[in-house]
Order: sequence, then C-alpha cells, then structure tokens
Amino acid sequence: MTVQKDPERNEVRFLRKYADFAGLRVLEVGCGDGRLTWRYADTARQVTGIDLERDDLRIASIERGSGLENTVALTQADSIHLPFRANAFDLAILAWSF
Amino acid sequence: MVHALEEIWRVLVAGGALIDLRPLTDRWPVEVVAVRRTEEAGRVTALPQGLADDAAANGAMSGGERSGLFKREREEFFPFHYSWDSPNDMHEYVEQEWADFLGIEDAVWRRIRSLWALADADARVRVRLKMLITRWVKVK
Repeated sequence: MTVQKDPERNEVRFLRKYADFAGLRVLEVGCGDGRLTWRYADTARQVTGIDLERDDLRIASIERGSGLENTVALTQADSIHLPFRANAFDLAILAWSF
Repeated sequence: MVHALEEIWRVLVAGGALIDLRPLTDRWPVEVVAVRRTEEAGRVTALPQGLADDAAANGAMSGGERSGLFKREREEFFPFHYSWDSPNDMHEYVEQEWADFLGIEDAVWRRIRSLWALADADARVRVRLKMLITRWVKVK
C-alpha cells in the first residue's frame, strides 16, 4: 500500500506564500513524522517540532536531512502545556493539528 | 483547543504569526488520473466525526479571535492530493486510516475500479482534499 501525499507540493508552496521563514524561530505543533517540517526547515533559523506520538517523532528524526541537526529539535509534548518560555518563537504552525 | 491557542499565544513574540493549516471535511472528489485524462469517479461521504472535528477547530479559532489573542490576516483554500497506484491500495488505506471520518459508497468503489481498469497503464487513483490555510497574527 503505497500512498503519495501532495505530490504537487501544494502544501509547502502555500506555506511559503504565507510565511517567509528566513531568520525565524518556528514552532510546529503536530509535526508528526516530519513530512512538512523537512520541506521548509532549511530556510528557518530554528525549528522546534512537537508531537504526542513518539513513533512519529522517531520517523521524523530518521528522515532529518543532513545539515539540520543543529537547526531542528523534535520534542514529545502536548500543545496545551508547551514546555517553552514566553516569546520563544516568531512563527507557529498548526499543521493538521485540530 | 482553546488552551492550545493560549499556549501558542504565550510562546509567540509580540506580532508573531500563527499558520493554521488543515483539511476541511467535505465531499472530496475521487479521481482516476492518467497523463492523458482525469476522470471523477465520485465523491467521498463525510462522516459526523470529521464534521464535528472541523466545527470544533473553527470554533476554537473564532474564539481565539473573539478573545483578542489573534487577528485573522488572510486565508485561502488549495487542493491536496492523496494518490495510490491502484484502487486496492486506496481501499486498504481508507479502511485503515480514514474509516472514522469518511466513507465511500459501494457504487463509487465500482466506478473507481471500472475507470481504473479502462484507463491507460500509468493511471493512478487519488482523492482531492480541500485544504484551508489561515495566517493569524498575535495582537496583544
């Protein structure tokens, strides 16, 4: 069972249309397996992806591109108790999270 | 969800932005796609759970706006495709992943299989989701 999700890459095209990631500290809530994260992370200053699912985070970590080790942090966390200080991010993304 | 918005508001800098990106449950079209031709085989059926999830999300975002946490700046819709090599692959995925919030009637499955069998060898099956992207700005 092979599924292709968004082969046209519309999602990241619209995401980039709605946010210029350059120099931004980004929080992605519900990053899952990193499918979207890895499509914009190279242009951000810092990305923190959170998700409740440890297995998805493990996949995301495996699929992390080279050169992103110091840019992207993946954390198991709940969006109603974010383990971050106030004013820590310039941009938040709720990706398929509601 | 309201608590999550309050938390996101807390960790964003003044003037920071929130991008809400999600599919909206709808009667999404199912298509058989080949290089030479695309044909619609029918529509999925939205189940109550999917509709309830959308209503809750919309309500939470509107609540965040009413309470002065965020201001809606812009939004639009765009298509997002899930695509499979064959109707069988699609059927397996739908049963495993989407059973709680959408259904596909037997008549639509028959039409999908029929169109796919008659299509060119490169044919795939896809569902076209309706995506909503909204940019919100932290306002206080």
